[in-house]
Amino acid sequence: MSHTELVAWSGLVIGLAFGATAQASGFCLLRGLNHSWTTGDSRKLRAFALAMAVALLGSQALAALGVLSLGGALYLPPSASWLAVPLGGALFGYGMVLANGCGARSLVLLGSGNLRSFVVLVCLGLSAAMTLSGLLAPLRVWLEGATTLALPARDLPGLLGVPAWLPALVLGGALIAWALASRDFRASPRDWLGGLVIGALVPAGWLATGVLGFDDFEPVRLATLTFIAPIADALQYAMLATGTRLGFGVSVVAGVLAGALVMALVRRDFAWQGFSGPGHMGRSMAGGALMGIGGVLALGCSIGQGLSGFSTLALPTFAALAGIAAGAWLGIKGPLTLSNSTST
Amino acid sequence: MPHPLLLRALSRRRLLIGAGLMALSPLGLSSAALADGPWQRLDAAGDLLRGTTPATEGLALELPHVSEDGSAVPLSVRFDASLAEGDHLAEIHLFATGNPYPEIASFHLSPEAGLPEISTRVRLNESQQVIAIARSHRGETFATARDVRITVSGCLMRGDDQGPEPLANPRVSLPERAAAGEPVEVRTLISHPMETGLREGAGGETLPRHIIERFTVTLNGEAAFTADLHQSVSANPYLRFHLSPTEDAEVVFEWQDDSGESARHEASISVS
Repeated sequence: MSHTELVAWSGLVIGLAFGATAQASGFCLLRGLNHSWTTGDSRKLRAFALAMAVALLGSQALAALGVLSLGGALYLPPSASWLAVPLGGALFGYGMVLANGCGARSLVLLGSGNLRSFVVLVCLGLSAAMTLSGLLAPLRVWLEGATTLALPARDLPGLLGVPAWLPALVLGGALIAWALASRDFRASPRDWLGGLVIGALVPAGWLATGVLGFDDFEPVRLATLTFIAPIADALQYAMLATGTRLGFGVSVVAGVLAGALVMALVRRDFAWQGFSGPGHMGRSMAGGALMGIGGVLALGCSIGQGLSGFSTLALPTFAALAGIAAGAWLGIKGPLTLSNSTST
Repeated sequence: MPHPLLLRALSRRRLLIGAGLMALSPLGLSSAALADGPWQRLDAAGDLLRGTTPATEGLALELPHVSEDGSAVPLSVRFDASLAEGDHLAEIHLFATGNPYPEIASFHLSPEAGLPEISTRVRLNESQQVIAIARSHRGETFATARDVRITVSGCLMRGDDQGPEPLANPRVSLPERAAAGEPVEVRTLISHPMETGLREGAGGETLPRHIIERFTVTLNGEAAFTADLHQSVSANPYLRFHLSPTEDAEVVFEWQDDSGESARHEASISVS
């Protein structure tokens, strides 16, 4: 098996694990923020925080042990746009509220029979590809070019001038401490197990592309869990498979869908669902489109930046995460809340 | 002297005949129509063909139809037509018609270069046609062309990276053994910025041209494969090609850049 095939197969396995775990545990940043801000139930948000901590500690441990270098990751550019990254995050966060779930969540829901998510995913993939390389790409290039900023350092340890283990331990420890501080969370194995497994899949993805995909002559691009460009690539792959090589991202997307489907069937949780009306459909479509555009501008989604980007301690990640949180707040509690907001 | 009106009628008739022939050509005169390839508009190609009409079968270019990273587009060129006994494919030249300097690379193959199948990674700065022209030792010529579309880069926010250390870390994958007459695959990679001389640095100054110009592979001191590289070859030049040594050989790989520096890698292969 060539190293590229090995990477594609491991992407499928990681995707299956993600899909099954997320289906069973209801892992979702939006649900976490929504419950926490509206009902005060913070278990889902704590599960996400735990996943962040596990992703961070696992990835930094791999880097510290010299197993791989995270320097080639997309999240660590030498310069970034001070506008596109947080703005993209905000568009993504608001889109996530409109569509009732992020890209990864939509894949999981589609696997559980939710046809609304199919519409969200098609809109997301289409708008992401338009922003990456299509009609909106010149606008994106112009925006990024006009607002580009050379970063003082590539990651947080570089900025603070400390060794990487220090901020990793402090941030990871703080997140774990906060997550475990809740008795409700500790008493909900579904949530903490879900967070633990999904967090661990991030370093697993770095291992798949960085170690299994290592080849002196044709290295595979270092990547791990992320869903915006891969959903766009998966749509493209579905249409152009005979002329395209199957990459890590696309096989993760396929795995998530299949893993969620299997888990939904096993748990007898599979149910066909559709739209209640054109307003509902329009909202989902707009949400998908905003997530596609925003995710590309922010260099990642709630998983891509929230877990994978965060695990590298990249500086733009913090701006993207602040943007995502702000966008979600605008949609859930802020002035842009839509009246027919249906809670997950 | 014919009446001017008659002349006009004549020329019109000639035009009509011409148009008729042109309409027929895809069916009846296919070889002539195919010979009329895009390479005819390329001056450098004309010099290589020296008036011969290249065969359009036998030489194949492999490139992705659409590529989202124009800075490293994988390219393979392969020759699989049969040549006369004793003849071998001696040269392959690659051109990117839409680049500021169309030459990509020229490969010179000895009979010991075995299978004429070469891969590399090239820079294409816009959607364009890539042309390959090959010539056999006895002067038979072959040509082919492929369209490539380049989209805006998917990962654009790569800034002005510090280039790699020039000529550092040559890497070669060469099997230790080969069967006589069986071509073995060789892969090579070396760190080099391949600075085009067209790019501006952070301060707006033009970065001087700095590229590897020549890559040579010798078997027991005899040149088996050489490559002349130009600015359109991607940074950290990668080359995959073949060797079919007839006896045990010391293989020397040498990269020379335009600043006079060079890097060497030595290996040996035993032939059974």
